[in-house]
Amino acid sequence: MGGSNRQLGDLEELVLLALLRLGDDAYGGSIRQELAERAGREVSISTVYVTLMRLEEKGLVRSWMGEPSGERGGKAKRHFAARPEGVEALESVRAVRERMWEGLGEGDVHVG
Amino acid sequence: MTGGDPKAPALARRLLEAALPRGSRTEAMLGDLEEEFAARVRTGGRRARAWYWREAFLLASRYTFTRWSDPRDGRALDPRPGGGGGMLETVWADVRYSARRLVRSPLFTGVAVLSLALGIGANTAIFSLVNAIVLRDAPYAEPDALVDVYFQTPGFTHGVLSHPDFRDLIDASAGVFSGLAGSQLTLVQADAEAGVRLLTAEAVSGDYFGVLGIRPLVGRLLGPQDDVAPGAHPVVALSHGFWERRFGSDPGIVGGELRLGGRPYTIVGVTPRDYHGMIRGLEPEVYVPLMMYEALLPGSNTLTERRNHSLFAKGRLMPSAGIVQAQGLLDRATNDFRARYPEAWTESDALVAVPTTDVIMNPMVDRVLLPAAGMIMVVVGLVLLIACANLASFLLARAADRRREIAVRIALGAARGRIVGQLLTEAVMLALVGGAAGIGLAAWSLRLLLTADLPLPLPITIDASLDGTVLSFSLGVSVAAGLLFGLAPSVQATRPDVSGTLRDEAAASGRGRGARLRDALVVGQVAVSVVLLVAAGLFLRSLDASRRVELGFGGPPAGIVELVLPAERYPGPEAMAFLDRLEERIAGLPGVRSVGATSNLHLNPTSTTTSEFVIEGVAPPAGQDFHSVDFARIDGGYPASAGLRIVEGRGFTAADGPDSEPVVIVNEAFVSRFFPDGDVLGRSIRQTDEGEVTSVGVMATARIRQIGEDPRPFVYGNLRQSRPTFVALVASTTVDAERTALAMFDEARSLDPEVMAYSTGTMERHLAVMLLPRRLGAVVVSAFAGLALILATIGLYGIVSHAVSRRVREVGIRLSLGADAGDVTWMLTRSGIRLVVVGGALGLTVSAVVARLIGRLLFGVPPLDLVTFLGVPALFAVVATVASWVPASRATRVDPVAALRSE
Repeated sequence: MGGSNRQLGDLEELVLLALLRLGDDAYGGSIRQELAERAGREVSISTVYVTLMRLEEKGLVRSWMGEPSGERGGKAKRHFAARPEGVEALESVRAVRERMWEGLGEGDVHVG
Repeated sequence: MTGGDPKAPALARRLLEAALPRGSRTEAMLGDLEEEFAARVRTGGRRARAWYWREAFLLASRYTFTRWSDPRDGRALDPRPGGGGGMLETVWADVRYSARRLVRSPLFTGVAVLSLALGIGANTAIFSLVNAIVLRDAPYAEPDALVDVYFQTPGFTHGVLSHPDFRDLIDASAGVFSGLAGSQLTLVQADAEAGVRLLTAEAVSGDYFGVLGIRPLVGRLLGPQDDVAPGAHPVVALSHGFWERRFGSDPGIVGGELRLGGRPYTIVGVTPRDYHGMIRGLEPEVYVPLMMYEALLPGSNTLTERRNHSLFAKGRLMPSAGIVQAQGLLDRATNDFRARYPEAWTESDALVAVPTTDVIMNPMVDRVLLPAAGMIMVVVGLVLLIACANLASFLLARAADRRREIAVRIALGAARGRIVGQLLTEAVMLALVGGAAGIGLAAWSLRLLLTADLPLPLPITIDASLDGTVLSFSLGVSVAAGLLFGLAPSVQATRPDVSGTLRDEAAASGRGRGARLRDALVVGQVAVSVVLLVAAGLFLRSLDASRRVELGFGGPPAGIVELVLPAERYPGPEAMAFLDRLEERIAGLPGVRSVGATSNLHLNPTSTTTSEFVIEGVAPPAGQDFHSVDFARIDGGYPASAGLRIVEGRGFTAADGPDSEPVVIVNEAFVSRFFPDGDVLGRSIRQTDEGEVTSVGVMATARIRQIGEDPRPFVYGNLRQSRPTFVALVASTTVDAERTALAMFDEARSLDPEVMAYSTGTMERHLAVMLLPRRLGAVVVSAFAGLALILATIGLYGIVSHAVSRRVREVGIRLSLGADAGDVTWMLTRSGIRLVVVGGALGLTVSAVVARLIGRLLFGVPPLDLVTFLGVPALFAVVATVASWVPASRATRVDPVAALRSE
């Protein structure tokens, strides 16, 4: 994997985090809800899927089809989970952030 | 939601399924949507559905816009990976491709859109009128159970009823009608901020709103309790439009007051927005009880006089009855009325029933209205056809230019269907843009037409708003135009002669099948335009001829004021005294040459009056014991002020008073009909209502009812020997007639501040009313013929300039070999003119047939009018030469060297 693939967009980062939080229960609908409830980001299903697909392309996420169920109009779920590369990417983002925050006290953060 | 599983909007789901490629990813997304919809629907079905639609739209458009590429992870691959092409994606790609191409050639796009906008605009405008007048249903409850009731008398197959007949009919209607609605249109005087103004009113019977099933928007409407005794119920319901204009849609107006005919009326409610009154096109501003009619128009005997027919009636059938039972009832009533009221009912009078849903305005009016509507739709349809021919012609030209590109694509394996689809998309897009522009054009021209100050005999209101029906019509026309006229060029362009085209493209630039099709289109355009121009020419010549008819009436410019002199205010001689004083004052106004009064003006489309005469030695028509002759009363000053001419004997003088011998003046047509020996002066005639009258003068025959009529017998009674109720004062003037009319009204007002005037106008405008149908017809047909000419010119210009652009090389060679520029220009121009000659000849032949068909509508012009049939080709010759010469001459100005290099 090239280094550029490890660059995460803002939404990609949030979706990956949602995958980690949701564990086995991660699929389009639940990810959308997690983003709405925890991150306060109202996004459409299509946005969630486009992001997931980009992450799959980058090799950070894998997915598989579940069994069809009686709910959801008899439609099966597609489950998603972060690959180890995904977790690595998240950690590197976090590391960058933490380095940037290092040494900044409460009083240093102000506007204007 | 009421029980059951909440379902996602089926249409949105189906669209989504069509748009997205089939596969597990799609299934998962649809499942997610379904699941969340189910959760959301618990907090509100409407919002959940809106959410679903939004999500579906985003998903579909996202899929179309961004190509979802294959995930590298093999396990995530769908059976049909991204980009496999949902239907929507293909269409969207075509739309984007076409849009780019159209934007890249703005001149072509502009001309094509303009052509279509003119064609579709004309159709939308006319269709919205037809829709408003002919198609739109009145909002009656269960209209199938409503029946129109008409009074039939010789000359009037579907006339109006008298009030007493209507009331008798209600009493006799048990078992067939559950109720009858009666309505009479009238003008009433209402107090305005300054002075008075006239309102159009419908005086309605008590059951009117109940029978028709019209419910109030605000307050209540009029009911049986409001229509019990004459003059006892000063209540009024407002029409929606009047409520909006006058009271700013204030719902608190109920219980308020409106002064009508000088008396306060209590406002009880407002009719719904979509109800425009019982007579289509004549929307009242207020509804008053029928029993208030005489209070509003004092002096009329409408409520009690059985011979005064003025009431429109509709009945609601009981569930057990049909049209047959209704007619049975009316037949019994007819027999009963003939026996009981022989003075009002002759053997040829009858009542007839017509299902309301079969009638547009009135069966007699419909017989004229429907062919007129049909004819004008044909005219605008032809205009659209010409516009579409332009579209097809331009597309053919473009397709010819793109033959090579298309051939390459087909050779490389592109499916022919895909390319045809793309070309069709382009055509439909052009048509849709043209349609949108056309709708704008239609809205604008309709506003212009409906706010134009037409000399109408009655205030006609047409709600020609662009409603759903009109918009879907325009949309349908646009799409159909795009598909129909885009198809031939598309198929033509993709004709699978790939190798031939690729091999000798130069040869293909000559005149192939596509070029011949384009020629045919231009020939057709020219032919259709010629037909429309000939029709327009004939109508214009008819208008001109009817303008020049010697009417024998209304020659001098004059102001006119029409007054009501109610018997309560002016009993007996007071009316004549008031008129005398008023005429004296008017005679003193600046510019006034003479003033006179009549009970009814000639050429009045809304009212004709007749009287009955017994003439010794001339047998009355079969079944009658009198002659019915057109009749009006005039005073001594009237002939001079109205341009009538006394040819024998004398006019009325001051000596002919109420107490002297009753005198009349007859016209020349009357003399030749009833006194062929010509000896009429001093002869006594019996007028059945008045007794013996003596004829003292003979008037030159004027036009009485219509401009084109044969000489009509007429008797002028003496206004001074009657108590006039309705009078029209006419003052011929040397100054502005409009100003004179207003000054006349001011004089009347100063004599009696509460005088009731129901119109002020001029003689010119009074006569214009008679010319209006002919003028409207001529103007409308000319406008569309002009449009056709413009469109055909665009088409001609287009084809010649395209031919020229294809022959630049040839022109270059000719010029460099020393050909004369003028000769080359003429050679190119000729190709256009050749088409015009063929099309023109074809058009003139068809015109000769069409002219005979419309011959009945012409006046004073033979169908094969030489001026028209020579003028139209002459006009076309000039236009065609210019349209062909301009692009042709451009070609010869190019630099020969550059032209040779151009291919």
